[in-house]
Parts: sequence; structure tokens; C-alpha cells
Amino acid sequence: MHWGMVIDLRRCVGCHACTIACQNENNLPLALKYCKIFKVGPNGEYPNLTSYNIPIACMHCEEAPCVEGCPTGASHRREDGIIAIDADKCVGCQFCMLVCPYGVRHMNKEAGAVEKCTLCFERLEAGKVTRCVETCQLKARHIGDLDDETGELMRLIRKDNAQPLYKHLGTKPSVYYIMP
Amino acid sequence: MSDLKKVACHFCHMNCGMLAEVDNGVITKVTGDPEHPFNQGAQCPRGASALDHLNHPNRINYPLKQIGKRGAGQFERVSWQEALDDIAARLTKLKATYGAETLSSLGGTNRTDDFARRRFFNLFGSPNVAHTAPVCWIPNFLVESASYGWAAFDPEIAGSRCVIIWGHNPATSYLPEMRGLLQAKANGTKIIVIDPIFSETAAKADLWLAIRPGSDNALALAWLNVIINEGLYDYEFVDEWTVGFDELSERVEEYTPEWAAEKTGISAEVIAEAARIYATAKPACIQWGVATDQFGRGSSAGAQARVALRVICGNLDVPGGDVMPGPHPDFITDWEMELNDLLPLAQRQKQLGADKFKLNTWPGYQLLTDNMVRVWGKSIPAEWFCEANAPLLFRAMVSQQPYPVKACIVLANNPLISYANSKLVYQALKSLDLLVVMDYWMTPSALLADYVLPAASWLERPVMTTTYGVSDWLIASERAIEPMFERKTDADFWRELGHRLGQVEYWPWESDEEIFKQRLDPIGLEVDSYEEFVQYYRMAFAPREYRKYQERGVATPSGKVELKSSILEQLGYDPLPHYVELPFGSEAKPEMVAEYPLTLIAGGGFMPFFHSEHREITRIRLLKPYPRVAISPVLASQLSIKDKEWVWIETPTGRIKQQALITSAVAPNVIQAERGWWFPENSPVDPDLMGAFDSNVNVCLDDDPNTCDEACGSWCTRAVMCRISKVGGER
Repeated sequence: MHWGMVIDLRRCVGCHACTIACQNENNLPLALKYCKIFKVGPNGEYPNLTSYNIPIACMHCEEAPCVEGCPTGASHRREDGIIAIDADKCVGCQFCMLVCPYGVRHMNKEAGAVEKCTLCFERLEAGKVTRCVETCQLKARHIGDLDDETGELMRLIRKDNAQPLYKHLGTKPSVYYIMP
Repeated sequence: MSDLKKVACHFCHMNCGMLAEVDNGVITKVTGDPEHPFNQGAQCPRGASALDHLNHPNRINYPLKQIGKRGAGQFERVSWQEALDDIAARLTKLKATYGAETLSSLGGTNRTDDFARRRFFNLFGSPNVAHTAPVCWIPNFLVESASYGWAAFDPEIAGSRCVIIWGHNPATSYLPEMRGLLQAKANGTKIIVIDPIFSETAAKADLWLAIRPGSDNALALAWLNVIINEGLYDYEFVDEWTVGFDELSERVEEYTPEWAAEKTGISAEVIAEAARIYATAKPACIQWGVATDQFGRGSSAGAQARVALRVICGNLDVPGGDVMPGPHPDFITDWEMELNDLLPLAQRQKQLGADKFKLNTWPGYQLLTDNMVRVWGKSIPAEWFCEANAPLLFRAMVSQQPYPVKACIVLANNPLISYANSKLVYQALKSLDLLVVMDYWMTPSALLADYVLPAASWLERPVMTTTYGVSDWLIASERAIEPMFERKTDADFWRELGHRLGQVEYWPWESDEEIFKQRLDPIGLEVDSYEEFVQYYRMAFAPREYRKYQERGVATPSGKVELKSSILEQLGYDPLPHYVELPFGSEAKPEMVAEYPLTLIAGGGFMPFFHSEHREITRIRLLKPYPRVAISPVLASQLSIKDKEWVWIETPTGRIKQQALITSAVAPNVIQAERGWWFPENSPVDPDLMGAFDSNVNVCLDDDPNTCDEACGSWCTRAVMCRISKVGGER
């Protein structure tokens, strides 16, 4: 079992529903967002333009620099592929924030620990989808098993040539994007 | 004990289905309802903030009475009894002095059951009920109704080969609809977006026609010219089912693609090619958007051209085309609840605008109703479709001409922010003897009120969705909890006020659920309560039928689809599509170009807000904390304006400031200012009124009745000449 996600950028309109739903699901302080949306463009000159939106959260990398760099073992990779943080072990040194190439880790000053997207593992364990998948009006997000070659997620990845972001960095993310 | 309630979101008129988890009378969680046909379990950022809205510390929880000078922001809590008794007594006195028409009402977008409002007004005797209807769907709807007897507002995008998205941005305003569009696109439907802005929707289109602001009418006329001249229309349908085709052909002869190229900024070749794509991709549909309702003079004329496109291309009421639902045959519609017959003829004639904007007032409404009742057995509601004209209403409040309007009851509406010419609206509201506002929040408009009454929001009330009373389906939702504190639903308010004004026999119900149950009964389901219907059925869709005109006929005087509208002709309007230049653009006023060289677009919805709402909800607000005006990088560099810098936006009517958003999405000589802005965190004291005039784009818009749409009285929010400059220093 290896949880992964596919985000279809042909569908995302940048409405921020996932950002807000995630904040509420995880009861986050106002300024803390596990999932951010970046608008790319419009690029070009009016009226020859292109634009798309890209949601960015933890990529749950197989070769995760944050896990390797964590001095206390707080950041760890679960057997199901999810990168998790054990808040009790985190001392807030923020080294993981320095080495994460995607900038998706955040210091929660109230908690004194680093936090990030958990891929809603508690929901997944309860048989539900992640909150961001549930809330997406455009059905741009898909969650599934990257180990299941015949499953919906791998089918999507193959069919639409979904790729991780910054693949060349070699961290082997579990989040794939279908480019617009 | 935990309970799961099927509720409906009121944060826009999509009314997405939600599930509320209720634990001992407290809502613990609100998620999307996976069984709901629109959102299919999803939520937008507003829906995901439902509990922030319900429990927000700024919510109005008790009736408040203004005790100081109006606008001083001094309120004290009173009981409902005291508030309603006093309001009723003052209304009785005003009616005796000035006549029933002295009472007016302003409504909002679908957070209320407006059949109850109209019922109250018909019984009270006043025709002066208004919404922002003229700039929101109504010109399109009524011109369609005059031409083919209802509006074809239910396009079957999933089965369509080409969808025209005309002046509409569902990617920010109607997310479930956008999902359907993208799904259709994936299945091969061609998506054509017509918009001067490179909108979120345009970014996903197959073809984006980047027209000059307000030139939509020219484009539609040129399409008609191409389609008719090249013989691309549906000969059979035109022959059998329409009247006026010859006159139409003759009329559009002058509107060549070359002529339109000059107006729209799109080449004649592209105009012609796009027309061919639309005309030959059968079935195709034109998705309605409200931008084309906001052109002022000429809004209806543009709607006439789009009507003709739908009709001659044979897309009316066909699978995958522009489906015309008609009323639901069984359940009791809004129209049947309104008791319009009880409003005496003499009072109908007093409706403000009835002598000028005749399609959206009693003269046109009566003609439409006669035809609709003949064919459908039911008409469209008077709410939205037969209303006092707001610009004339505000003028009557200020000048007492043609008669004094001394009282106004406002529900789910923030007129200071939502109507053009905000300074006039301000004067108007301050001229009243009695202003009552029922709302969730203390808004700038509520600050001027004598009474502010607490409104129940969607988790605290049942919701019955019927698309303003014109769809052939309904979706019913229950309340999750009883209203918190002393909040009430608007139907409760009207009933209790009605009871104090001699209307007891017309308000026999104890609750909203009782009313809804009664309206559902004719469907013939064996349910004991409204809640049972919600739990077991939730919705009632009339069987989908196509080409209903074949069996029923067409609800027009001729019984045919009228390309030359006899109803418009009878009301004194041009019965054929024609070109009208927008009232505040460079074409109408070339002498002002030197002083105001830019073109302002003052409309358009944007996430995460809905109209003027949700500025108080911190998570939502932090996504877009300040108003933004879209400026091209070319223009920004000419004026040395940096991103996020505050800039003045000036028109001859007024000036406001917004933050620059530098983006290539707008043409170099065009700016788009966000609407709906006020600042709940600012001083509530008059004249600040929470920044009602600081960044509110309606300060810059004129609503001079002579510039409004001839038939429907729509004011103009598009293609307004303007200029911008840096504010400099601190905001």
C-alpha cells in the first residue's frame, strides 16, 4: 500500500476550497495553511494568454529529505507511504523546513512543532477520502494506491501522463500532476 | 445523540446540498452531501466555512432599535414584540397619510422566501418591491419569455456539441456548473467563452473571444448576419415554428462581420468562423450570464439577438440544446403563493417604473402572464419579474416624486453597496421615515436603519430551491437546528407583521415547514411532514420533455416563437434585435475620452466572496483581504503603478480606491474593479459607515434612468469611461 494523489490541473480553478476545508479539518491557526494554491500566469500578451492554478502541499516523498534530516526522528515515513510528524518528538528546530524543496512545512508557534499535510491518514484509515478530495467541486483531486497497477490512480497517471513536480530533484513524490 | 440533517447552503444561489451533524442541538460538522445532484459532496471555500458563519461573534442575534441619530451607530436590544408592534403602527400611519405605495422593499439574492414578501405586499397594497433583478438575469429572462413563452435557462451542456459561455465566469461563481463544463469538454464539447477578461473560465476554453467591453450585442448581431447569409440556420424549425424571420433577416443585413470587427476588436474572419462553429455544431447551447444584463441601455436588445441565435439554429428545447423547463405541473409554485390578484389595478399602475420600463413591471408582466397561463397553466412569480425600478425608487425616496416613498424594509440586501450610484442610495435611505433591515450582519445599510432584525441563516431554516420559482424541479432541505438566539426566518417575519396589519386569515401557518409541506402536497406523496419528504425524497423533478411547443404550443400571442416580438412591440419597444451603444462608453461620449481614457468593468463575481457578503469571516477574508483592480502591465508601467499599490478609480460620478492587481488578463486600456467591498472592521459611524464609500465600485456608477435599459430598467456597470492614478502615501 502506497497512498498517492493525482491533481488534475486542467480542472483546478483556484477556488481555495481545499485550503479552507483543510484549515477547518485540522483546526489550524488563521495564518497556517497546509495546502496553498498558486496561480500561474496569465502568461503571454493579451489576448494570447495561458494560465492555470497549482495546489501545493506535502508531496509525501519516498526519498524524503525532511525524514533524513530530522534529528529526533519526529518526521518519519509510514508503511503506507505517508510522511508524518510525531509532534511529541519534534523540538521545533525547523531543519526539515530548510531541506524540503517544496516549502510545504510550517512552524506552528502555538504548538511549538512543525506541521504539514497529513494526507488525512486518520480519515483514510477510517475508509474516507482526504478532506481536500471530498471538498473539491471540480473533482480535480484523486486519492489512491500507487502500488495498485490496475487501480484508478495508476490508470489516471498513465492515461494523462501525470508527473510529480520537480521530478529531477529525485525525492520521488507521491503527488502527481496532470498538466493543463 | 448525533443526527444527520440534510440542509442546503445559502452562500450563493446554487444551493448546494450539505449534511449537518447535530449533537444535542449543536452542529458539530457541515460537509457536502454526496447524494446532492449539484455539488455531489463537494463544498466551495464559503460552504467549508459554514460554522464560522453560524457562530460568528458579529452576527445579529436580537432585534435592535436605533436610539440615537440615524447613522450614529447607537442601538439597543428590544423584544420582537416591541419591534413588530412599533413597525406595524408606523406602517399603518404612513399608509393612512401617503397611501400603501409609500412602503417599499429591497431584497437580496435567494436567502429569503420572497413569495412571502410579495404576499405581504400584495395584501398591504404596495407594488413597490425591488431586487437588483434588472442587472441579474431578468432582461435575458423576460426577453426570452416574450419571444418563446419562458426562458430556456436549462442548457443541457452534457449533451451539447458546443457551449457558448457569454459574459459568465462559472469558475468563480458556479463551481458545480464549471465541473459539468469541464466534464463535457473532456468528452469533446467545444467551449467558447465570450469575455473581455481572460477569466478563470476563459483559461479553460477551446476558444476565447476577447471582445471589447460591452460590444457583445454587436457580436451577436454579426453572428446572425453570418448564419442567415450563409444559410446555416434550421430551415425547418424557422419555417414551422417562428414568425418574423424575414424581418429579422432584413434587420441584420447591415450588421456585417466587418462592422462588428470595428466594435468588438475581433477580426471579421474570427467572428464569422465562430458563428459557423456555433451554428453547425448541433445541438449547441448558450449559457446565460448576467454580464449582458448590466449594459444599461441595450441590455434587452442584446438579449433579443441571443434569442434569435438560439431559435434560428434550432437549439430551442432540444436535447443538448437550450432547454426551456416551464413550471412544475404539480407543486405549488411561488407565483401561486403570491396572491397577485389581490393587488388592485390602481395600485399596480402606481408601480415605480410601470410607465417607463414596461417589460419588468406590471404592463409587461400582465401580457406575459396571460400567455403563460394559457399554455403552461402557471406564470412566473411577480418577485424578480415584476418589480419597482430601483433607480426610480431611490429618486422617489429623495424627491418624493411622483409620490412620497417613506418606508422601506430591506432583507438579505445591502443596498448601499449593491446598487449603482451609492451616494444617491445613501441620500435615499436617509430620507426615509422608517427603515427596517433584516440581516445576518450589521452592514453599512443596516447602520442607517431604525430597526435591525436578526435573520436565521440556512442551517437554522428549511430551504426549498426552485430557482426563483421558475424551474420545473425543486430540491427540499431541512433545518439542522432551531434558530439560535432570537433569529427568525423571513417568512416568520412577514407572517408576524402581517398578523399585526389585518392579514391574519392569509397567514394560517405556524412554521416554514408547514408552508413547504402544503406546497408539496399536490405532488401526491404519502409523507406526514416536510422533514419526511426531505429525508425520503429530497427532490421532485418533472419528467424531462423536449420540444414541448409541439404539444403545448408557444406561450406568445401568435402561438409561435416570435423573432419579431409582438409583446415588445405592444409595449412600445423595437420588436427586433438592434444595436445600441452603451451609455457611458467612448462611443456614446467621444468628447470625454481625453479626460477619461480608460474603460472600467465594474462587475464580475470572484472567489471567495458572494456579492457583498463574507467580509467578516476571517479565514475567507485572508484569502483576499483588500479590493483589487485588475490593471494591465502595459498600463501599470505607463503610470508607474506597482502591484498592490492603492490607486484611485475615477469616473464623472465618483471615485474610490482599490489595490492594483497587475495582470495581463485585461487589455491595456481596460480595468476591472472588484465589486461589493466594504470593511466590517472600519468605523460604523456615519459618514464612514464601515468604509461604504471607500472602495465600493458602485460609487463610480451612474444609474440615471435615461441611461437604463429601455424595457427592464437595468443600470450600466460595463464599459464606463474612467481614469486611474496612484493614491500615494498610506491608504
